[in-house]
Order: sequence, then structure tokens, then C-alpha cells
Amino acid sequence: MAKHSSGKQLTNAVLIPVLAIISGLLVASLFLLVSGSSPLRAYQELFKAGFSCSRLTNCNLFQTLQLATPLILTGLSAVMAFRSGMFSLGQEGQFLIGATIAAWLGYAIHLPPVLHPIVIMAAAMLGAGLYGWFPGVLKTRLGINEVITTIVLNNIANLFMTYAVNFPMRADQGTTAHSPLIDDAAVLPAFVQGSKMGIGLVIAFVAAGLVYIYLWRTIPGYEQRMAGQVPLFARFSGIRNEGAALRGVALSGAIAGLAGAIEILGVHHRLLQGFSTGLGWDGVMVAILGQVHPVGVAIVAVFFAGMRLGAQIGLQAALQVPRELGGGLIALMILFVAVQNLYRGWIEGGREWFQKRVRRGDPVQK
Amino acid sequence: MPHAVEMTGISKYFPSSNVQANRGVNFRVQKAEIHALVGENGAGKTTLMNILYGLYEPDEGKILLDGQEVILRHPQDAIRCGVDMVHQHFKLVPSFSVAENILLGAEPGQAGFLRPAMENEVVRRLADSFGLPVDPQARVRDLPVGMQQRVEILKALQRDAQILLLDEPTAVLTPQETRELFDVIRNLAQRGRTIVFITHKLPEVMEIADQVTVMRRGEVVANNLVSETSIPELARQMVGREVLFRVVKKPAAPGSIVAAVKNLVVAGAGCYPAVKGVSFHVRAGEILGIAGVNGNGQEELVEAVTGMRPTEMGAVYLESHDITHLPVGERRAKGLAHIPEDRMSTGLNLKTTLDENIISTRYRLPEFSRRGFLLWANIRQFAEKIIKDLSVAAAHPGEGIDTLSGGNLQKIVIGRELSGDPRFIVADQPTRGLDVGSIEFVHKTLIEARDRGAAILLVSVELDEIRSLSDRILVMYRGRIAGELSANDATEESLGILMAGGKLAQVEKEA
Repeated sequence: MAKHSSGKQLTNAVLIPVLAIISGLLVASLFLLVSGSSPLRAYQELFKAGFSCSRLTNCNLFQTLQLATPLILTGLSAVMAFRSGMFSLGQEGQFLIGATIAAWLGYAIHLPPVLHPIVIMAAAMLGAGLYGWFPGVLKTRLGINEVITTIVLNNIANLFMTYAVNFPMRADQGTTAHSPLIDDAAVLPAFVQGSKMGIGLVIAFVAAGLVYIYLWRTIPGYEQRMAGQVPLFARFSGIRNEGAALRGVALSGAIAGLAGAIEILGVHHRLLQGFSTGLGWDGVMVAILGQVHPVGVAIVAVFFAGMRLGAQIGLQAALQVPRELGGGLIALMILFVAVQNLYRGWIEGGREWFQKRVRRGDPVQK
Repeated sequence: MPHAVEMTGISKYFPSSNVQANRGVNFRVQKAEIHALVGENGAGKTTLMNILYGLYEPDEGKILLDGQEVILRHPQDAIRCGVDMVHQHFKLVPSFSVAENILLGAEPGQAGFLRPAMENEVVRRLADSFGLPVDPQARVRDLPVGMQQRVEILKALQRDAQILLLDEPTAVLTPQETRELFDVIRNLAQRGRTIVFITHKLPEVMEIADQVTVMRRGEVVANNLVSETSIPELARQMVGREVLFRVVKKPAAPGSIVAAVKNLVVAGAGCYPAVKGVSFHVRAGEILGIAGVNGNGQEELVEAVTGMRPTEMGAVYLESHDITHLPVGERRAKGLAHIPEDRMSTGLNLKTTLDENIISTRYRLPEFSRRGFLLWANIRQFAEKIIKDLSVAAAHPGEGIDTLSGGNLQKIVIGRELSGDPRFIVADQPTRGLDVGSIEFVHKTLIEARDRGAAILLVSVELDEIRSLSDRILVMYRGRIAGELSANDATEESLGILMAGGKLAQVEKEA
């Protein structure tokens, strides 16, 4: 029953979401049956629309990966905070702060290509990192619950962004308030014409690897995880828990800010009122569904994005099944992650069965 | 007359940790008997009781209750058959009242409405009928541990338990509470209830049990009538070899002063300070014991010395550095090691692997990290070395430690704290809850550290431990040092007088 080895953690990070997804699909088929469509056909359409790739210029998978990019990053942001013992729900606000800074620096300063997006992303990470650090200070110095402060700060960030795009940064008096287009030099290039999947995706995957290395291979990451798991033990060992928590939320904010910057530099190229569809919140869900593990987050984010796209263009367009079902499907899966102990039992049972067959010969006694 | 419990040929193997916890165990208990089940940590006692309580299903074997075979797949099955268990860690709702806890799931009421007055009445009657007075309206969180345990027992009796399994019931109790528990146990046995209790305190077995079964490495090695056995014999059966009850040690060779505490004042939970101006020093190569009844400021003293709690006034010195206000990490860097009172929640992180536990105080050393990156290959090697050197059973470097027994967990703590030869070791109740074999190991290890020149501050409520390990003894009473005794002068009586608030003059007079 030693379930904490890193290998087992990784198996769980992969197997639990997969099992939750299968369960969600099974239950959702009931709804499909009720609405009069064949579940098999519907899922076929769903997956085809979400993950197929017929031609380079007409590739749904590319769009899915583009949609997954901010989800991976906001999911990683949540992982960074949760693993440090801070239940920060501030990803949405930090995402908006990062996006606002990126959109402003995109037209306000002029730098050569390559350098310009790098400066912008660094600035967005710094700004959003501070925005994430602040509730950490409130928690460690004054003991104010971080769940509440981060949610409140999300609202403040949203109002700030709305103000910025309506007044100081407003480009013209069009119907939807928006800021001027960013410089061409600041744009993060896409890989293929007709799709916005590009450098941002690479950054997101690299970030997943870096978060994994940081948390499991470096001293500050180790300190953050220990302080997050058992604060008393960490303090007893000589780890400064407040420092670890502050690092955790500041880095978490920076990653969410990077997500916002990439969304502006790679996809929208300007700030639009209401451009975020709750990507920060989705990040929390991705993190939970992905077992608060960077590998799980990367897998789940891609899946999540594909389901969304598939529901929109597969179910709705091809089968006239309302696309809300896609959202419902995702919600069902989250629900099934909540019963992960059931899967843990299955996985453990499978492991025991396997080991019994392998090791029956020589049980080592305690 | 059939046995109340008859378990035959019980085997249980845990593939995930690769442990054969029970191997062909035969276990019989007569009706209305007080039956002790003893064995070292990890001998399989708790597994056997969990099987009887329906928490685990055995791989092989039969269970007979009152002569009839039963299959127990779930604790509910066991409870229906009249078997109930009081766990070491109580399963009570702290914010509920005593009555609400006892009647949880069996509330008397009408049409879905609770009737608190009736609940209190039911519980009062139940408690009176067994002679176990409780206040039905008290909140469980306000009760002392002994009372909480009584609530657990009443909860089982309310479900009409005929066979009561108690998992190390005295581990958390004060001596006074233990005596009360024993009265309760005798009382229940007289009323025809069968009691099985797990323990590794052999004097308790001799005092209360009728029959004792000894387990070792998953097997039953002996079954004795208590009247026909003795503590040394039981200890030999448990450990499989002769056990030294006296610690063998050379006379101390104290060197220079390593650690000193001057006029230390430490705040407590209440209005008054818990430590009220304590001064002492510890020399290299000596063990300074601090005796006292639990709750006389020892906990706060240890926390202030180790940096877990701020100091109000006074100073703590380590090798002539003033460490009074240094954080834990810097104290450790200056040579402090700390074996904490609670290994489960303070000394170890049970949610992670052995590797990550073994470096928690030492990960900054060049052997374990370079430029901020952890060197996992070296860490694993170090973990394997500790496992081998201290023979930590059933442990693997990259795996969790939550299934290890108390003795093995303490070995991990000690392996970590004593590696790198610390100058000053604070050992706070280092053998609490351990079996005789593990206690012997801990004592031997501390003596060895002393002989290598470490200064050791030993805090313990076990007088035997204080007396056999310490070179000098301080007694704490109400936050002050009530007196100092040399190891030779410290008798049970003289310590007892000081611990109860008497004066040293009295000790001398009576001596």
C-alpha cells in the first residue's frame, strides 16, 4: 500500500483521469440516448471533430492544441500553488493581469522581433507573479484565507482589465471595446497557415517539464512540497514554510500571467473586452482532473480542449446535439475524478493481482 | 463451551508492501476472558484484529464466533456479530456531544427529528448500567483522552458488543487513566464481555490479563496463562532472544559545555508561562534527563530549545552561539538534532516517500544537492544505507512509509537525526509507543551517540527510561526545575517526591 513512490504517482496521474473520462463518457451516453442520438455515432463525431487532422490547412487537432495552450499553463499554475499548500484560485485574475500587460506592451513599446515577445512575456510574468504573491503575503503575515482573497482579486483584475480596455487602452469606438493591435514583432508565430497553434504550445509543454523538474528535482521545489504536505514536519525539519508558500504563489501567478501573455501574443493580438472565457477557472479543473501533476495537466488540457471543440463543431454542427452537452460531459468527468478513490482501489487491486502473480514465489516477510 | 473467538489458520499477505502479515495464525479466546495480544511493532497483531473486525479479509483461514463459522467482509458484519473495536486513534466527532457520538447512526427520534433530551437519557442509562459515568452533554473535544476512550467503549456497548477489541488502549493514557481503564475492563469481563487488548507493555499484561498470546513475525509463537508466565519470558517470546531490561553503559566522561539554557521563559497555552525561568547546561558526552509528570512545561521547553516555539525571555546557547532567536534550520546547521515527541505528524511526512523523509533536515548538504538540484542517486544510496544499518524492516527508498510500524518509523527518524554526528541531541519521549525490542535499540543508539561525544537532552515521562539512560536528572514541576539529582541518587521515591512538587530537603530527610 505504498502509494507515494513517484512511479506510482505518475501511473495514478495518467490512469485516474483516463478512468474518469471513460466513466464520464458512459454516463453521458444515457443523455445522448435520451436526446435520440446514438452515443457511438456521437462520440465518433465528437472525437473526429476534436482530434482529427485531414489536411495541414484544415486540422482540428491544431485548433485543439491551440485551445489547450492556455489550459496547460493555467493548470500548471494551479499545480504550483496547490503543491505548495496554498489553495489559490487566482489563476483567472493573474491570467487577465498578464494579458493586459502583454497587450499594452505590445503596442506601447517597440523592439526587434524575438526580443519583443520575450520582454513582454517576462513583464507579464512579473506583474502577474506579484499579483499572485500579494494574497500569499496576506495569508502568511495576517492569516487571511487565500481562497477568499484570490477570488476577490480575480474580480478586481477583471474590472481593471475592463477599465483598461474601455478607457486608456481603447483603440476606437467600435462595438466591442478593444485595444490597438500589437506590433508584428511582438506576435508569437504560428506553425501553419490558418491555425494559431504555434510557439505558445511549445512554451506550454516546456513549462510543464520545467514545473515537474522544479517541484521534484530542486531544493526550493522540495521545500514547497514538504511545506504543502505537512507544514509541521517541514518547520521541524528547518524549512521556512512562509517562504515556500510565497514562492509557490508567486510562481503560480507568473505561470498564469504567461498564459495570458501567450493568449494575446499568439491568438488575439489585442485585448478584447470579455476575451477570457474563464480560462483561469478551467485551469483549476484541469489541475484537479490531472491529479495535480504536470504530466496529468498536459494530457487533460489537450483532452479538455478537444472535447470542447468536438462538442461545438462535431455534436452541434453535424448531429444537432446541443454543444452544452460537451460542457456537461466535461463536468461529468470532473465529478468522476471526485470518486477517484474508487479508481485508486481498482488500480491498487490490479497492481496487487499483478504482483501476486509475479511475486507469489517468495513473499519476503516483515 | 465453545470459545468466544476461534480463528484458525489465518493468513494475510499484502502484495503492495510485500508483507506476509499473518501466517497460519491460530487464535482462541474464551468467553468473558481478558486476553492480551502482545508482540513487537509489525508482528501482525493489528492485522489479526482488523481481520476479526472485518476490515481485511484473510487469504486463508476460518473465523468462528461462539462455535459458529462467520464470514466478515465489512466492519458492519463484525458489529452485527457482536465484535467491536476501539482503535488507537479514536473515531469520534470532536464537535459533537458525548451522547451524539455514542448514538451516531442509531439516534432515537421520531419522524426524522432528533430528540436531544431523549438521547441524553438513553446514554445516561447505558453509562449507569455499566458503571461508566460520563456527561452526555459534554463536547467530545473538551474531554481528556481517557474520557474520549470511555466514550468509544460506550459506543461499542451501545451496539451490544460482546467481544471488544482494544488496540493499544493504554498508549495514550496517563497512569491514573490507565488504572481507571483497567477497572472498566475488569467490570466488563465480570458482566460476561470478552476483551481482547493489544499492547506491548508487559507489566500491564501481568496486571490485568487472564491469558496472553504472543505474536512474532506474523505467527503466534506462544499462548500462556498469565499466572504461569513472567515478564522476561514474555519478552523473550516477543523478541526471540533475551532482552536486556537494564541499559548497559560505561560511566559518562563529560567534556565541555555544549548547550546551555539561561533563565528561559516560554509562553504556554494559558495565561501563565509554561516555562518560568529554567537554567541548565549539557556537556559533551553526557545525557541530561528531564523528568516530570506530563504537562509541567517539558513540551514548551523542548520547543523553545529546538526553535519550534518563540522564547519570551532568557537565552539558549549552542557551542557558545546565542541561538535563542534563530530559526530551526540555522540551529540544525549549528549541530542541533531533534527526535520529536510525535514522529507521525512532526518527525516524518507520511504522505511522501522514505527518500524525501530521510533528507528533510540535510538536503542542503553537498552530498545531496548541487546548485539547487537534488542528487537523487546519492539520496537513494543514503536511504539504502540507513535501511541496512538500522535494519528498518519492510522499507524501500522510493516508496511510502505510511505502512511501516512505529518502531521502524522511529528508526528512520533516528537514522536521519543522528547521521552526521550532531553536537547536541534533543530526544523528546524517544520511545513512546515502541515495543521492547525497539526501545532497546533506541536506548543503545543514544548511549552510542553519547559515547561519541554528543550532548544529549532527554525528556521523558517514563521514569525507568530517565533513570537508566541519564547521567544527571532534572525534575520539572510547574514550569520550574524542582531539583537536580545525580543518576546514582535518583530513586523512584526521590524522583516521585520532586515530580509531585516536594522539596529536595524532603528527599534527603526520607532517604
